[in-house]
Amino acid sequence: MLEQELKNIWNNSSKAAQISIETDRLVQEFDTKMTNIQKKIRKRDVREISASVIGILIFSVFAYEIPFPITKFSCFLSILWFAYVIYKFRKSSQQNSSENLSLPLKEQLVHKKQLMQHQLKLLNSAGYWYAGPSFITNFIFISGLRNPADYNWTNQIAENLLPLTVNAKVGTIIGLGIFYLLIIWVHKIAAKKDVQPILKNIELIQQQLKNSN
Amino acid sequence: MRNKLESNFEQILERSKHKIYRICKIYSVAPLEPQDLFQEVIFQIWKSLDNFKYKSSIDTWVYKIAINVCLRSKIKFDKSNNKTERFESIHFTPVEKEIDASEQEKFQYLKECIATLNESDTSLIVLYLDDLSYKNISVITGLSENHIAVKMKRIRKKLVECITPKIN
Repeated sequence: MLEQELKNIWNNSSKAAQISIETDRLVQEFDTKMTNIQKKIRKRDVREISASVIGILIFSVFAYEIPFPITKFSCFLSILWFAYVIYKFRKSSQQNSSENLSLPLKEQLVHKKQLMQHQLKLLNSAGYWYAGPSFITNFIFISGLRNPADYNWTNQIAENLLPLTVNAKVGTIIGLGIFYLLIIWVHKIAAKKDVQPILKNIELIQQQLKNSN
Repeated sequence: MRNKLESNFEQILERSKHKIYRICKIYSVAPLEPQDLFQEVIFQIWKSLDNFKYKSSIDTWVYKIAINVCLRSKIKFDKSNNKTERFESIHFTPVEKEIDASEQEKFQYLKECIATLNESDTSLIVLYLDDLSYKNISVITGLSENHIAVKMKRIRKKLVECITPKIN
């Protein structure tokens, strides 16, 4: 079979359908789609950041209200950690949205691979930057709790909520430990199921492009 | 500015719609249909149009976006592609004149044979079948012309060996 015949088959394939496009209406539909995408991104950002903002507010109140020095110190650490999480999410969102589809295929794959490697690192290191610091600050917070009467502090709500006895402290710390281990596990699963297969595909295509055979 | 952009976009669509559609037909895998991929490609063209530098050829720029979008959907870079909603302003209507059944059959064979190639070879063969020079394929893929020539020799051989017994 001649190559020209192949090209003819190829070129004739698009003749089976007539494609008509109402450009004015299409542009309107694109604008709507763009607005929807931006709304989704904003919603996602708000969702990711709101937990940290609420955390900052709660620990600010704790830092102001609770008189125990070690616990107070842990509140400031928690506020710093929440601010860092916001920064980390913002940076990651910016990197993920920096897509340029008009790059040559080879460069596009390099760019996508870098993004995916970054995501993989972020998910696999969740124990170090997310669960670990959070557990440590919570641990310090709980360890620093003392008898309110020693500090002439009376706050009925806080006394009911805070683990002030040794048993309550140990129970809470164990519960938090299990919770953060679960968070690490969920992140590891996401890395394995969602990111690693894509990364593997990218590497495979890069290898295919490189090979002459 | 906006009017100029829209007018450029209209010209690009008119010039490129058939070649984009041909590429989408090869890359679409269920549940994604060629129409879904087609509209995603032209959406990305619209989004990227602001950044187009008129120093390079518009055709190779369109091909780059088409190949990148199609490949992205194939290897599931973007899971949201599975839930594409159709735009009402794009109409695909079968042509009224009777299409040669053997032509359609031949295309089906060609599609089957291309499906046996790996992703990298598929990108190269669709550009080659669209009659692009090695120089242009090199601009689109980022590979050297020599490298493309070596690869194309092997891909063409494989494709011809696959399709010839099917057609004869």
